[in-house]
Amino acid sequence: MSADVELAPPMSFEPAGPNRRQAGSVAAAALRYGSLIAFAAILVVFSLTAPYFLSIGNIGNVLGQSTISGVLAIGLTIVLIAGGSNVVKGGIDLSLAANMGLSAAVYASLTQLGYGDAVAVAASLLTGALIGTINALAVVVAGIVPLLATLAVMNVVAGLELVLTQNTVLPASTPLLAMLAASDSLGIPVLAYYLLGFTVITAAVVQYTPLGLRLYAVGEFPDAARAAGLPLRRLLAGAFIASGISGGIAGILSVSYLSGSTTGSGEMLLPVVVTALLGSVFSRRLVPTVTGTLLSALLVGFLVNGFQLLNISSTLVSGVQGVLILIVVSATTLLRKQES
Amino acid sequence: MSFQTSTPAAASLPRAIAGSLVRYGLILALVAVFAAFSIATPTFLTLANLQSVLVNNFTLLAIVSIAMTFAVSLGGIDLSVGTAADFASFAFVSLVLAGQSVVFAAAAGLGAGALVGAFNALLISGIGVSPFLATLGTLFIGRSIQQLLTNGGNPVYLPPTGVPESFRYLGHGTIGGFPVPLAVSVVIIAAAAIVFARTRFGRVVLSIGVQPSVVRYSGVASRSHVAMTFILVGLIAAVAGLILTATVTVYIPSSGNAFLLNAIGATFIGTTLSPLGRPNVAGTVLGVLLLSIIANGLLLTDLNFYWQQVGTGTVIFAVLALSFTSRKSSTAG
Repeated sequence: MSADVELAPPMSFEPAGPNRRQAGSVAAAALRYGSLIAFAAILVVFSLTAPYFLSIGNIGNVLGQSTISGVLAIGLTIVLIAGGSNVVKGGIDLSLAANMGLSAAVYASLTQLGYGDAVAVAASLLTGALIGTINALAVVVAGIVPLLATLAVMNVVAGLELVLTQNTVLPASTPLLAMLAASDSLGIPVLAYYLLGFTVITAAVVQYTPLGLRLYAVGEFPDAARAAGLPLRRLLAGAFIASGISGGIAGILSVSYLSGSTTGSGEMLLPVVVTALLGSVFSRRLVPTVTGTLLSALLVGFLVNGFQLLNISSTLVSGVQGVLILIVVSATTLLRKQES
Repeated sequence: MSFQTSTPAAASLPRAIAGSLVRYGLILALVAVFAAFSIATPTFLTLANLQSVLVNNFTLLAIVSIAMTFAVSLGGIDLSVGTAADFASFAFVSLVLAGQSVVFAAAAGLGAGALVGAFNALLISGIGVSPFLATLGTLFIGRSIQQLLTNGGNPVYLPPTGVPESFRYLGHGTIGGFPVPLAVSVVIIAAAAIVFARTRFGRVVLSIGVQPSVVRYSGVASRSHVAMTFILVGLIAAVAGLILTATVTVYIPSSGNAFLLNAIGATFIGTTLSPLGRPNVAGTVLGVLLLSIIANGLLLTDLNFYWQQVGTGTVIFAVLALSFTSRKSSTAG
């Protein structure tokens, strides 16, 4: 009974019976394709029942609405990859949502003081990076388990946001924010393109470069990575800093989306954690991936949107998220039992 | 964690200092915070205020943190303690409103909390889902159910008049001058301490947290112990839900989650009191005391209300950093 999550199946070097292995891989495929099929089924049901659902404008809207949580979840995914599958001792960043709130507050405050976009953008990104650095130092240098370190940092950061904003809404409007909040000629929000661009760049680095491969090695096989001479501590620290910067980016995006900094960013935390954890079912080896996280963010986005179009209470969404994660995790767990 | 069997006496002096910093860091922090507030604010060190710390800040967090200590002792975590408290609170308020007796409503409330725990137990022991994810799922589903039950999150108030006297007693009564909620939390703390120190159940829970496979191979039914522990966690958290409801005479959906992060913080701060970094009842209680004193003390200073969260977070961070760095240096090499 450990707090291990182990979304990634442990690699087995023992000779297993061919039938068993086959059954395991069939079940893994069933889970993977099952989740894709479930995703497709949800889309089909919504497009049949809500005519407007499948329009370009609506799909663009869903992408736009998923942008902020998507960027945060992708940032968290990097930490999940580098930290490994143990949620308590490994990769988790609970400070992300609060980070977004503070970065947004910094942006809005600076524009209210008359600074331009350049200064405000730089300050927000710096705020995010600084929070990421504190997390990195706490985890790598002080050796605090990430769950606790980022929990404490989350409290401090959320408090600083309250101090800065006095728990009020700080309106902001700048040329950059107007540009980000606009839609193109097809009615697709600019934010949607931003989400896709962010995903492409992050996925390119994490899935297709040696650096990304090393992040996976550090997370999944730390002992082997150490033996191979990888700078474990630096890679893990880098992952936390990258996640912090994602928080800063999400902060800027949320200022544009909401025309200012608002309170209650902490509400985003658990949905973002679920999105990032859920994303691993969309990958081939059931590990966290950037594209998997994007799919999972969109799945949640389409659910919320479909519920709205069908006039189903959006409060059901968190319940559906909970059920989804339990189904996915139970299936993965049973699968692993069968494999071993 | 690496264990050292023998160290040369000369080299061990800095390590011994570091080691005692770990062990007594929490107590030092408590003393320091206590002293700082006594000097900074004239009203802190008054009997009335210290009572208010215990009644208003300590009681409920202590009960939830004891529940969390059971889950963490097992090597797990329970993110749905607030959900169990909320469900208990909802059942309690609804049944009292429906004219049922307070005793029956309270029993049903406890049952609702235990049910949340049983759902976790099913997922964790039955299927083998990790506690973090299982209880995260429970937390989400619980939030949805509460919003469905309350038309999207409306509080359920009890009328100011006509509330049974026994209901009020649970929240505001005294036993020989001792507030009932505080008495309940003291009883729970004492019971938990006895369970861990004196019973087989407590020893099994602790050993599952340290060496789960050894426990399994030694023929102990570890799955049923895990299941029982999570039901117990739900049950204890439900007590906090009942007391909260009896104190404020209202059920607010998802209000129990306010305790979640502080309970995790208190439990893990408490682990610094044990030489092996294990959760323990005394440590948890001191951790809750530390958080309560900070919350109360910062309220008394002229500092902006919003600085309180910054202060609490910073102190937690400092205590953790101190304990983890010195633990690392005392076990490294």
